[in-house]
Amino acid sequence: MSKLEDAKEKWPAAIHELTIGALAADGGTRTSTVTVGGAAALPFMHFEGPTPNRPVIAMEIWDCEPPEWSEVVTDAIGDAIKSPTEWAKKCVEEFGADLICLRLMGTHPDFGDKSPEEAAQVVKDILEAVSVPLVIWGCENDAKDNEVLPRCSEAAKGECCLMGTVTEDNYKTLVASCLADGHSLIGLSPIDINIAKQVNILVSEMGFPLDRVVMYQTSAALGYGIEYPYSIQERGRTAALGGDKMMAQPVICMVGSEAWRTKEAKATAEEQPGWGDETTRGVFWEFGTAVPLLMAGTDILVMRHPAAVVAVREYIDRLMKTEGV
Amino acid sequence: METYNVTFQPDGVTVEAARGKNLLEVAAAAGVAVTAVCGGDGVCGKCRVIVKSGKVTAKPNIFLGRLDIQRGVALACQTYVDGDVVVEVPLESRVGGVPQLASEDAIRYGRVSERVGEAAAFPHNSLARKEYLDLPVPEIDDNTSDQERIFEALRRKQDIPIMQMGLSVLRDVASVLRASNWQVTALLGHRGGTVEVMEVCSGDTSGRNYGVAVDLGTTTVVAHLVDLNSSETLATKAKYNSQVSFGDDVIARMMYATNGERRRQLQDALVSDVNDLIAALVSEAKVKLQDVHFVICAGNTTMTHFLYGLRPEHIRKDPYVPSMSYPPTVRAAEVGVTISARGLLAALPSVASYVGGDVIADVLVTGMTESEEVSLLIDMGTNGELVLGNSDWMVCCSASAGPAFEGGGISCGMRATNGAIEHIKFDERGRVKDAGVVGGGKPLGICGSGIIDAVGELLRTGCIDRGGRLMPDKCGSRLRESESGDKEFVLFLGKDTALGRDIVVTEADISNLIHTKGSIFMAVECLLDHVGLEFDDVKHVYIAGGFGNYLQVEQAIGIGLLPDLDPGIFQCVGNGSVQGAKMALLSLEAHEYIKDRIASCMTYLELSTYHKYMNEYSSTLFLPHTDIEKFPSLMEKAEAL
Repeated sequence: MSKLEDAKEKWPAAIHELTIGALAADGGTRTSTVTVGGAAALPFMHFEGPTPNRPVIAMEIWDCEPPEWSEVVTDAIGDAIKSPTEWAKKCVEEFGADLICLRLMGTHPDFGDKSPEEAAQVVKDILEAVSVPLVIWGCENDAKDNEVLPRCSEAAKGECCLMGTVTEDNYKTLVASCLADGHSLIGLSPIDINIAKQVNILVSEMGFPLDRVVMYQTSAALGYGIEYPYSIQERGRTAALGGDKMMAQPVICMVGSEAWRTKEAKATAEEQPGWGDETTRGVFWEFGTAVPLLMAGTDILVMRHPAAVVAVREYIDRLMKTEGV
Repeated sequence: METYNVTFQPDGVTVEAARGKNLLEVAAAAGVAVTAVCGGDGVCGKCRVIVKSGKVTAKPNIFLGRLDIQRGVALACQTYVDGDVVVEVPLESRVGGVPQLASEDAIRYGRVSERVGEAAAFPHNSLARKEYLDLPVPEIDDNTSDQERIFEALRRKQDIPIMQMGLSVLRDVASVLRASNWQVTALLGHRGGTVEVMEVCSGDTSGRNYGVAVDLGTTTVVAHLVDLNSSETLATKAKYNSQVSFGDDVIARMMYATNGERRRQLQDALVSDVNDLIAALVSEAKVKLQDVHFVICAGNTTMTHFLYGLRPEHIRKDPYVPSMSYPPTVRAAEVGVTISARGLLAALPSVASYVGGDVIADVLVTGMTESEEVSLLIDMGTNGELVLGNSDWMVCCSASAGPAFEGGGISCGMRATNGAIEHIKFDERGRVKDAGVVGGGKPLGICGSGIIDAVGELLRTGCIDRGGRLMPDKCGSRLRESESGDKEFVLFLGKDTALGRDIVVTEADISNLIHTKGSIFMAVECLLDHVGLEFDDVKHVYIAGGFGNYLQVEQAIGIGLLPDLDPGIFQCVGNGSVQGAKMALLSLEAHEYIKDRIASCMTYLELSTYHKYMNEYSSTLFLPHTDIEKFPSLMEKAEAL
């Protein structure tokens, strides 16, 4: 009896490889860099093609003390949460973050309205405090971001940060800054493969290299329609592996902020006595949100709770094992 | 009830109106047509009038700026009579003027003489025909009835299996025959499967036999007077559909037609347009109204329903079922159309609620059902209808494209009539270099082909990005913010325009156009997908609809409206609707062909439930398209740069 052929998928293309952070030799001050992307097969299908770079975890920190975060998260971080630099240090030194995702929520007009100079100073301080690569994320108020992000870009010039976000309605300012200062970009699109592509095209038409773009197609938490971003990401990934250059960008996902918005993560034991231990429930929820997104092909997970970070990192270790498959 | 006098300027018409009536209703009662895209719901902002004097009350709205209000500008539908009032209806709010008829080129393409007559696709055999009969005088051994005598004489000329003669003809026939010394002319009309002797008159009047072909457009009604003996078109006329006061599109009108009274209003408006056109045609051609014996109309399903006075509301509601698909041939007088007393009226059949007789007529005119090669027909009227097929099969669909190509939903939009910018060219710096205005003179607004040109040129010069957003660095001083905060690009400053008001293209206009062109392109893709064909399989593309006459194919491909095919295979059909109706009028065979080989052979594809449409629509909302690979010639050009 003849042996059946393995039903392996052959993909003609691969995801762009992108390095975040610059070592001294490359004009930066980082002591480590992070490389994502490069996959030539669907996530963790090692038998079909290589996944040269493992997914990474960026820990989310804010430039101000987050007013409404669950105590389960703030307790785990401790007093460091009051200072962005201390917080960043703790994430790297104690929790082992691969990179830091600085969200400039304090610059939002309704949220402290910090000046561009203050924001740029926070960026500088964090680059000083930690030596891992940095993701810099605006407050998602277009007008304010257009004032703040160019200053931050300038302050981090040469450090090859990942900056975001650009949307189809607002991209010119940040694209120009990142082009001038050597950073990479996050293109934001609302769960729509075509709009994701359109953002990439608009950015590339300004002369920005497509291999320095990361896509954020928005996300959802477990139990809150995560199937939708999952299928969009999967479609994007199969298109990219099939040869669509406009979809061949690595993907970033806001896991922590989505998971910790759910009542399942936030409710106290007093509010929901039947739901189990409140100190682990949210951690599980963040973990449970990260796992399907990893399967869908997320390259950079932005997370909040240190325990969830540890759990997801171990899970990635297992997914990346290639022997025995 | 208190009533007041309301005077409309510059018409100088005064009517009485009850307190609390809105000015739009009063204007309609006064016979002053005011544009109302939304049919008076207060959401379109197009029915701008100026209250010169008198007391009115008005509901607040978002359409008028501070300056407008100071000038006394009000929205007619949101302004209520509260005293004697003088109102001016400015040019921009007028439903008026004479629409442009299809340009000579388009008419040449669709010329009926090439499709009906000797050695053409269909023989000449008009729906109303006159036969001169020199009847044998009855004698004792030949005493068949007067009726049979006429039938026999007719049968000697032609094989007519089923003939009938109505009571009113029979009542007169005895005296007519005897008074005319048995020399009479019989007027025959085709009605379903039978031939009716409609009229018997004395002497030989067979030289005087006319018919009218009508295109019942949502926006424009066009009528051609035809000599049914010679097939010659004697006169052509067009006017705007008066139903416009009840809403710009068929949906708004169907929503208005909620009861019998309102349905009657809509029918009356349409019928009086047809009557006005016929009256104008016969007077221009110097023929007598009583010699016009047949009227045939081609219109979309809703218009046909309005004409026949049928309930249209189920067309609009899921599952979109019209009352009628094969309209009967009726006495014209029954629907109120005035021609000869016993003249007949018919309308072309429709395929579905949103693919009507106008599209069927287009198909007939193109001859696409007579070739094995695959053709694509796109009718871009107030809505988009598409047909794909050949001699063996046809699929059709309706794309809810909206009225952007007719100027609807475009801030300075207007129809392709006098004063409309129909084409525009920019220099490299993004300034208007050259523009064509219909009828010459200063521009009044911009029509469909003009807006396509403008967007194409804005894109070419980098004034907009591929998402359709205005780019400040390239637009320079031409870019500004409107009172409502929308970004707009100034094409012409007030000093260079007919109304003294700037002509602009706003970001919202561009977005509207992108949605419109996207739905047309997506509809093409869905039709092809449904039958498993590719763009390259399409060998002919026909563009029907008045707006097609001005359309520049390359520019339309450039913004992603039309598929990227060799411009040489695109042909403009012009007003296929009226041409097709005319063919049916002149040839019973063509009329039968419409029923048997077109209407009944077309498969309707419902796009609202078609997955591909839903999944990929947003990919078309880009200039020209998110997947540039779908536009190989544009991709080559871009790469060459």
